[in-house]
Amino acid sequence: MTDHSNPYLPYIATVDDTWLETVGDRCVRSFKVTLDDNSARESWSHQPGQCAMVGLLGVGESMFCISCSPTEGKFLRFSVMRAGKVTQALHQLEAGDKLTVRGPYGNSFPMEEWKGKKILTIGGGIGQAPLRPIVEYVKANISDYAGLTMIYGARTSNDLCFKGEFEEMSRCDDLSCHLTIDVEEEGWQHNVGFVPQRLLDLNPSPENTIAITCGPPIMIRFVLENLKKLGFADEQIYTTLENRMKCGFGKCGRCNAGHLYVCKDGPVFTYAVLKNVPEAFA
Amino acid sequence: MDLDKLRKTAAEVVSRDDVKYLIGWRPGSYGYRVAPGFVEEASAAETLIFSPLCTINLATYLTLTEKLPLPRGSAPDQRKVALMVKGCDSRAVLQLLVEKGIRRDQVLLIGCPCPGVVDTALLSLKYPETESPADLKWNGDHFLLRQDGQETAIPRLSVLAEKCRLCRYPNPVISDITLGEPVEAQLTAEDSAVAEVEAMELGARAAYWEEWFSRCLRCYACRNSCPLCYCRDCVLDRLNPTWVNRAVNFSENTAFHVARAFHLVGRCIECGECERVCPANIPLGRLNRKLAREVREQYGHEPGIDPDGKPFQAGFKPDDPEEFIL
Amino acid sequence: MSAMLLNKQKWTEFTGILSGKKVLAPVACGDRFRYAVPAEGKAFSLDFDRPLVPPKSAVFPQTETLYRFQLGKTELAAPQPGEELILLGVRPCDARAIKLVEKLFRWDVDDPYYLRRRELTTVVGLACLEPGLNCFCPSLGGGPASTEGLDLLMVDLGDSYYLEPLTDKGRSLMDLASGLLEEAGEEGLQKKEEAVRRAEEKIRRTVDTDGVPEILPDLWEHPLWQKTAAGCLGCGTCTYLCPTCHCFDIQDEIEGFEARRCRMWDSCMFEEYTLHTSGHNPRPTRRERTRNRINHKYSYFVRKFNVIACVGCGRCVNYCPVNIDLIETLREVKEAQ
Ligand SMILES: Cc1cc2nc3c(=O)[nH]c(=O)nc-3n(C[C@H](O)[C@H](O)[C@H](O)COP(=O)(O)OP(=O)(O)OC[C@H]3O[C@@H](n4cnc5c(N)ncnc54)[C@H](O)[C@@H]3O)c2cc1C
Ligand code: SF4
Ligand code: SF4
Ligand code: SF4
Ligand code: SF4
Ligand code: SF4
Ligand code: FES
Repeated sequence: MTDHSNPYLPYIATVDDTWLETVGDRCVRSFKVTLDDNSARESWSHQPGQCAMVGLLGVGESMFCISCSPTEGKFLRFSVMRAGKVTQALHQLEAGDKLTVRGPYGNSFPMEEWKGKKILTIGGGIGQAPLRPIVEYVKANISDYAGLTMIYGARTSNDLCFKGEFEEMSRCDDLSCHLTIDVEEEGWQHNVGFVPQRLLDLNPSPENTIAITCGPPIMIRFVLENLKKLGFADEQIYTTLENRMKCGFGKCGRCNAGHLYVCKDGPVFTYAVLKNVPEAFA
Repeated sequence: MDLDKLRKTAAEVVSRDDVKYLIGWRPGSYGYRVAPGFVEEASAAETLIFSPLCTINLATYLTLTEKLPLPRGSAPDQRKVALMVKGCDSRAVLQLLVEKGIRRDQVLLIGCPCPGVVDTALLSLKYPETESPADLKWNGDHFLLRQDGQETAIPRLSVLAEKCRLCRYPNPVISDITLGEPVEAQLTAEDSAVAEVEAMELGARAAYWEEWFSRCLRCYACRNSCPLCYCRDCVLDRLNPTWVNRAVNFSENTAFHVARAFHLVGRCIECGECERVCPANIPLGRLNRKLAREVREQYGHEPGIDPDGKPFQAGFKPDDPEEFIL
Repeated sequence: MSAMLLNKQKWTEFTGILSGKKVLAPVACGDRFRYAVPAEGKAFSLDFDRPLVPPKSAVFPQTETLYRFQLGKTELAAPQPGEELILLGVRPCDARAIKLVEKLFRWDVDDPYYLRRRELTTVVGLACLEPGLNCFCPSLGGGPASTEGLDLLMVDLGDSYYLEPLTDKGRSLMDLASGLLEEAGEEGLQKKEEAVRRAEEKIRRTVDTDGVPEILPDLWEHPLWQKTAAGCLGCGTCTYLCPTCHCFDIQDEIEGFEARRCRMWDSCMFEEYTLHTSGHNPRPTRRERTRNRINHKYSYFVRKFNVIACVGCGRCVNYCPVNIDLIETLREVKEAQ
């Protein structure tokens, strides 16, 4: 038994399933993971927006957002872009392999507070990972919300994550899903163009709406600009920050954006808060 | 050194259209300290000095300054950086040119023939530093220390930096403007510090370095201050693969020091910065000078001397005597 | 137990009493001192200069194993609680720093490694009767005989040490040596106060920290950061040697089939500290890093814990190889207001 008063000690977890979301050099692979320890599995609870420190013994740990909603079941899901040491090693894993997991860390999207509102998610590339739990959460509690609009884009259709999941969304009245890619492609039936422009074109009303955006910094910058154009107030706009992290609970000092510890005070912030933090969009 | 001339020259240089700024020495915040002075306006040239306290090798800043991505549409600033150099510093610049780390048209060198600088740590040990600014001047075989209205003559050799005692190139080997008269290179003294380590038995020598390397904090001040440690992607910072673990202990520290020493073989120009900046006082000069001497004696190569030379580690000689193979 | 005197002639006997315990004391290495276990059987004295590496390293080692494991296995073994430790000859500023950093390690989630070592450590301070050139502890609410963070304060009175117990740990240490001690009395107290007063007069450098935490956010884009950072080498000297710096990295390290996950000091002055794999760096130059260091100590930490995370020990000023002088920077901050 591991001593869980020691926050550095992770749980051991098993990969149940893993599949590629995208292809290429910086491909994204998703993992469905369950904690080995029964009581840990039962007591684990996370909310959309939270993260966990995923590690491989002998390689290292990295922070990932939990890309599933608690409504989906007693498992965790991570969607990992292949980048450096840890993520490359994670991409080698197969079902049955062991991982370390600690968390959940950080605050979460205030799903309770948002009840009765329209939810608008605006994602780009791997930035859809923290947004997916919102989508799933709203889908599972659809009567609590006044609808969900999802705008999601990537460079090419190959770079879109969670592709298999969008089909069913178009079948439900309260859900709408708008996909876009940067450049024309043969066989592509959806929009072509950048995410910020797609947002403007769709012209969603800010009325009783919460907008959540996540993606590459440059996309976020223009999405924020366009949300302002559409009349969204700073308090209606949410995003998540991604600073380098080591501990996840306010000790290692590394994740700060100005006076905020992204791992404790975030990763979820309203634009109203972030616009006053000079380092936030650095 | 005629300070008026130095300042006038510096003011002229920074006024030139093709010069971005000038890096020289200015008095530090107290006592014996001297700081790098970045001069952009002619008026600020008034703060510059050149004295036996000017130990810092400013050539480091040529490669240390970050190059940020340019805003779209703007052209890169092609103007030169003007740099004040002592003899050893100029060798660093020359070596950088030979290695193509910088381009000749990127720098404007103001050479300062150098009668030798002090070991500031030694100086403050023998003549305790106070908070009021001190001035040190060359005066034959003495340094004249002026502080708090008092003047003290300090025998030159008692506080001279070790590297200066061994200096073979006190006059800049490359410069665009030279200030003052060339100084006479002294007779090359024996490197008694290296000899002392060489004289140790193998076991004692290992123990000597173990003792020192164990004290290393891995603060990397030595690497960062080194004008020739300028790799954008240093092996020491690499995680993937990890060549040197970040754990601080004798074995990892040794891996670090050996890696660094070998990366400087035939490149170290013996400016002594690494040893000067080391907070743990590790005698890094002994390590690097030993290797420099081997290269000099075994291969007849001296870095930072020959503008048309080839980088040592990129060279191959068919007539290599191969007297020692590791 | 009240304040007592230890005659210096009994010093060796006193250290003998401690010999059953693990003691760290300032030991000379060339001309610099560091905290180390004094060589066995060798007498050691408290006649030392300010140690290079602050004693934070005793409670927050530069490299610390979080847990060990064998490659291919999943059993994780966290290290056993260590042994009791007596830290001798701690400068009051460094003791204050240990206490300040504890605030962070207790905040929200307890850090068991730091807190356990802290609990096991008895901190015995020695007042600085000869403050260093760059000591400015009084400017930060400390002083050459400040007691914050100490279990026991010693003051050198010439032929004896004045021992002032401050906590139960300090008292029980004095109990051990009670046979060697004599009542300090009114006269001892007066001598001590006189010595401390003289020490305070010897402090030469000061900063006016009043209002600095409030000013800093307004100076975010001020040219002073570019100016200060221009000469900075981006090394770890000012942060590794700072008694209040507490940032760390976590890495896995393998030796044969044995492996461990460990943490090690890190520094916000390093480029890699915030670097993403993509190459994006939220703090791309030394300007932003320097600004972070000063802001963290003098503003962010204050917002969280209501106290400046600098104790004025002067190490960053002493050892910065290019004379980037915190005291000057703070003066410029005040002037830029
Ligand atoms: C709150 C949070 C949520 C994240 N969610 C996801 C996710 O859902 N999917 C995903 O693919 N990635 C996510 N990331 C980024 C992910 O953590 C990095 O890509 C990963 O750490 C790279 O590690 P590496 O060992 O492969 O790379 P290396 O370059 O070998 O790692 C070096 C170290 O750099 C840091 N690092 C490198 N890149 C980043 C980055 N982009 N952001 C933060 N730290 C970085 C890490 O501390 C890492 O340990 C998230 C990061 C944070 C902070
Ligand atoms: S400067 Fe000294 S302490 Fe720092 S890394 Fe170099 S040798 Fe080690
Ligand atoms: S010690 Fe000096 S040079 Fe090194 S990082 Fe700190 S301020 Fe910069
Ligand atoms: S910031 Fe400098 S003076 Fe302040 S505690 Fe740290 S090292 Fe000492
Ligand atoms: S952020 Fe920088 S200044 Fe603050 S504790 Fe960490 S290393 Fe020290
Ligand atoms: S700052 Fe200086 S005088 Fe004050 S306690 Fe520390 S070492 Fe002593
Ligand atoms: S990740 Fe360590 S403090 Fe935030």
